[in-house]
Amino acid sequence: MPGFDTIDALRGGLTRERYLVDEGLATVVFLALRLKKPLLVEGEPGVGKTELAKTLAAATGAPLIRLQCYEGIDVHHALYDWDYPRQLLQLRAGGSAPLYSMEFLVRRPLLEALEQPGAVLLIDELDRADDEFEAFLLEFLSDFQVTIPEVGVITAKEPPTVIITSNRTRDLHEALKRRCLYHWIDHPGLKREVAIARARLPQVGERLAAQVCAFVQDLRWLDLYRSPGVGETLDWAEAFHVLGRDKIDSATADRTLGTLLKERDDLERVRQQGLDARIQQAEELAVKLQTHGGPDGRP
Amino acid sequence: MAAPNPNLPQRPPDQQILAAAVAFARSLRSYGMAASVDSELVFIRTLTELDLRDRRQLYWAAHATFVHNPDERPVFDSIFERFWEGQELDLSARAAEHGEDDARMVGPAQGGEALPQFRQEGKEQKPALDGAPAKATRDINSPEGDDGASNDQRGILAAYSPAEQESAKEKLEYGDDELAAVRRLGEDIKRAAPRRRSRRTRPDRGGDRLDIRRTVRNCLETDGEALRLAYTSPRERPRRLLFLCDVSGSMERYSRVVLGSLKAIVSANSKAEAFVFATKLTRLTKALDGRDLDRALEKARGSVSDWSGGTRIGSAFEEFNHTYGRRGFARGAIVMVVSDGWDRGDPAVLTAEVRRLQLQAWRLVWINPRPMLVDQQPLAIGMRAAMPYIDDFVPGHDPRAIAGLAPLVGGLGKQRPRRKLASGEQLTVRPLPIHGNVQKPKDRPLPANQWPSAANY
Repeated sequence: MPGFDTIDALRGGLTRERYLVDEGLATVVFLALRLKKPLLVEGEPGVGKTELAKTLAAATGAPLIRLQCYEGIDVHHALYDWDYPRQLLQLRAGGSAPLYSMEFLVRRPLLEALEQPGAVLLIDELDRADDEFEAFLLEFLSDFQVTIPEVGVITAKEPPTVIITSNRTRDLHEALKRRCLYHWIDHPGLKREVAIARARLPQVGERLAAQVCAFVQDLRWLDLYRSPGVGETLDWAEAFHVLGRDKIDSATADRTLGTLLKERDDLERVRQQGLDARIQQAEELAVKLQTHGGPDGRP
Repeated sequence: MAAPNPNLPQRPPDQQILAAAVAFARSLRSYGMAASVDSELVFIRTLTELDLRDRRQLYWAAHATFVHNPDERPVFDSIFERFWEGQELDLSARAAEHGEDDARMVGPAQGGEALPQFRQEGKEQKPALDGAPAKATRDINSPEGDDGASNDQRGILAAYSPAEQESAKEKLEYGDDELAAVRRLGEDIKRAAPRRRSRRTRPDRGGDRLDIRRTVRNCLETDGEALRLAYTSPRERPRRLLFLCDVSGSMERYSRVVLGSLKAIVSANSKAEAFVFATKLTRLTKALDGRDLDRALEKARGSVSDWSGGTRIGSAFEEFNHTYGRRGFARGAIVMVVSDGWDRGDPAVLTAEVRRLQLQAWRLVWINPRPMLVDQQPLAIGMRAAMPYIDDFVPGHDPRAIAGLAPLVGGLGKQRPRRKLASGEQLTVRPLPIHGNVQKPKDRPLPANQWPSAANY
């Protein structure tokens, strides 16, 4: 896996994969790679937490292994299980291979991550798993090894890069946090969001991208029940593009608002306040942005 | 990858830098941040990877190692700012003391007003809402024409008789009988701990799912014949209890008792969360989860700055929904609101937010510790606004209703509330069913038609 020697090199690598990071995130990811420490990222939904791991894998050419957490997840879903049908067949056939050996082991994401050198392991939405699972992860994260009673200790030849995401539906244990680097991803500023939109959706014109982002940035000040994330911004910009618009207009905005806002109350509130004024404001802001130095991807 | 960064001048972190890093961790600790030694070591390791001339790199490295929570950022930022202020990395030994006794820096434990009833000099404090309503409370007769407080079998909230109020208000400590009452309710709810089905399973001979893993194990003894089948059934886990307690002036008499109960429940139930509100919302779970009640109260005093302000239930709920609610605190939880429903905010806001709260909650229980003020309709506009979206309404002045609360909560874990929530439809609120065998068999429940209901509002 190609390493990145400087923070700027890492930033460049991620940018090539169309993922724009600010200075803080770049520094932290760099450190996570260098120190071989798991990185815990938190942030509002839609700021690109999961995407970070995917991009990092792509940028380093490493395989991405994803473990989606949910309530009740346990060792057999996360680490390993036994191939029961094959074990039974073996028993019936009177074979001599030991039943509990690597041959009959079914690898789950954590084990896979240990066996694949240099993999990027994404442990997604860890807060959804229960406390017991978190405790189990401690051994894995500090030593990058696991113990399978029937087989023994399996250690990573080269520790994986671990990205853990959480939506903070509950507090994670201090013990776990201590083993990780931590970063909180904020919504990007206007310039960077435009840059992200341009990078992710090259087919969308600059004017439309700037207008959409200006509109969304303004919405985030509204204290909506569910503020639109970058993902929603991209969806909305794409919606305009698919409908053949190269700038925002009030009729299309009204019809496609559901790509942006997913709560009935929020929709009503924004509609009641009137879309026209907002659109006009977004247009002005977009013009300002385009005349005073284009977006360069930096905040 | 483990090799030091080749683009940087080769050097171990020298003594000065080490000393500065250690001193920085110490000042973080002295302001209440949990800067563990582990984090400190990691921070020192990061220093070998960074260009130390770039202060922002240093900032992000320290941030990544010491901050574990977005709430800690303001504190961290200000400490960082002060610590490295105007100094390149040539920190002298002075750094070790820097900040630790800097009176200008307000630690997280500081700030906020004292809660009026805890203020020693607070006798004169007269909460805007307290006078008239407190009187009305006393004047109200319970359905039996008898004051609930004189009942032998008093409920927890009824433990506060008006007579006790005057003297209790000035005291900081709990009285013995109060503490006993608090413990009792805490015990009740703890024992009643509502459960929910977990997705994990446990071995169970009478279970209904085949446990292939164990079955195969069993086959080993029988040459591959599955003679003994093993089964599992789902485990049960505690269901989250979420308390939202009104501690405003209109409920001052109850606040301390309620806090005490909360403490008992929070320390017993790992899935319990406690919030208090008046005009704003404060999360008290961590403060309450200690050993010592007095310390918890002290902490509560520090974190609730609006103890005696007016109540804006709607905006407090809005705050909850927008912050914790959005993060899923109420999902699948039994949400218990303890409030008299005296809302000085906009009833429309309250209606909207209670509805949202109910949609997230497994069950929304509203405990109103005040008698129903049937004659004083305008005073409880908030209660009326909230009523359509409450699953269970508990009139807290009635000892039997309170006694019925724990069994109710215990039974709620697995039973979904029946709701009809088509938009605009008014719900009829069913009064809390009292379980007949709560404490004394002779203590029979009131007929449903004598219960306060939405109509009374």
